[in-house]
Amino acid sequence: MADLQKLYEAVLNGDNKTAVAVTKEALAENADPIELIQKYMIPAMAEVGKRFECEEYFVPELLLSARAMKGALELLRPLLAEKGAEPTGRVVIGTVKGDLHDIGKNLVASLLEGGGFEVTDLGADVPPEKFVEAVQLRNANVVCLSALLTVTMPAMRTTIEALKNAGLRDRVKVLVGGAPVTPQFAKEIGADGYGENASVAVNLARDMVKASSHAC
Amino acid sequence: MRLKLIGCEVILRELSFVLSRSPHTIDAEFLPKGLHDLGGSKMRDRLQEVVDATDPQRYEAILLGYALCGNGALGLRARAIPLVIPRAHDCIALLMGSRRRYQEYFDANPGVYFRSTGWLERGRDLDQTTMQQTRSLTGAGYALQELVDKYGEENGRYLFEQLHTYRRHYQQLTYIETGLEPDGRFEEDARREAQEHGWRFTKILGDFQLFERLVDGDWDPDHFLVVPPGYAIGVSYDEQIVRLEEAPE
Repeated sequence: MADLQKLYEAVLNGDNKTAVAVTKEALAENADPIELIQKYMIPAMAEVGKRFECEEYFVPELLLSARAMKGALELLRPLLAEKGAEPTGRVVIGTVKGDLHDIGKNLVASLLEGGGFEVTDLGADVPPEKFVEAVQLRNANVVCLSALLTVTMPAMRTTIEALKNAGLRDRVKVLVGGAPVTPQFAKEIGADGYGENASVAVNLARDMVKASSHAC
Repeated sequence: MRLKLIGCEVILRELSFVLSRSPHTIDAEFLPKGLHDLGGSKMRDRLQEVVDATDPQRYEAILLGYALCGNGALGLRARAIPLVIPRAHDCIALLMGSRRRYQEYFDANPGVYFRSTGWLERGRDLDQTTMQQTRSLTGAGYALQELVDKYGEENGRYLFEQLHTYRRHYQQLTYIETGLEPDGRFEEDARREAQEHGWRFTKILGDFQLFERLVDGDWDPDHFLVVPPGYAIGVSYDEQIVRLEEAPE
């Protein structure tokens, strides 16, 4: 029998090799992929997030845990699709136009995937129309915008305006983040939320998707 | 006027040059470039310490040789004497002499990495503890070998790649020449760096306009924010970049 506690620990400790190996072993024994995710991987990532917020974990540890999570998820994803499992939500994420920084954005994308979201990562330096296109194409309900420079922060505003002009604004929750972004700025540009760090962003996205599905 | 300048060492050469020609008497204190990497409120707290340690009886105002710097100046409070800060996002705009020139350049040249003498010669020499803290928080500044030692061969390599991918998105290195360089060594370093990364190399001329106005006391509101006692530096999210924010004691 695969020792699934090892999967939890591998994700928590950023041990990609073990995470993948245990997942393979479990799948060979017909383990339920949803159970692997919900009972072991998501709690492990939640613990990673907690440690990050308590400053026991920092960016490198977060990157390694996200990678271990991803490694395991890649094996599980085809099975999830077969089972017709619905993702927590559909996210389109990118760093806004003019800004090439992507470490923070990549982290948020990984943690969102780890949180069961279907993530479309548009990369860096993404013009507003690309966000619009991706939201339509992927039927997204969350848009995450990242910027690391105060000089590119205004592009967050223009991206939100582009979503408005395309008639998509009411369909999606817009979350913004990045080192220079503040809650005040988020409010000023009409975003729905601000994630102070990657772990907060994921919780926020989850809460918003939940709240909006209840509203319907 | 007797003024105090608190500036970043990354523009030490440029500020020293304009200081030498200022009509005013100015004491200068330069802080490590590493504050930039600490970022946000941590940088602000350090600046505030230096502002607070300035004798208000001795000076009429404190000049900041800084820009908004990724919100590193956000929330900085004037105590008994005013603070003066240029309206600019960062030191690249300061070196270019205007935030408008910077914005135009930025819009027309995506994916540019900037270099100037200060960016080439100044390290991240905060004291060791702070340095360690910055690096473990962000992972920035680690050499490959250090990451390998700390996280193992495979993980270390992965982290190094992840932490440096953004550099792959850059296409050009723009070297800002000010005319204060002793010889061609800085340009050579910048050219070498561009070549190593496969970036185009371009050189533009810096402009001392903002530096001069700052130390000459020519603080017109279009280019500077003067923060009187009881106020702090706020961010305006528009072309003005910074604004006053009430900050009662």
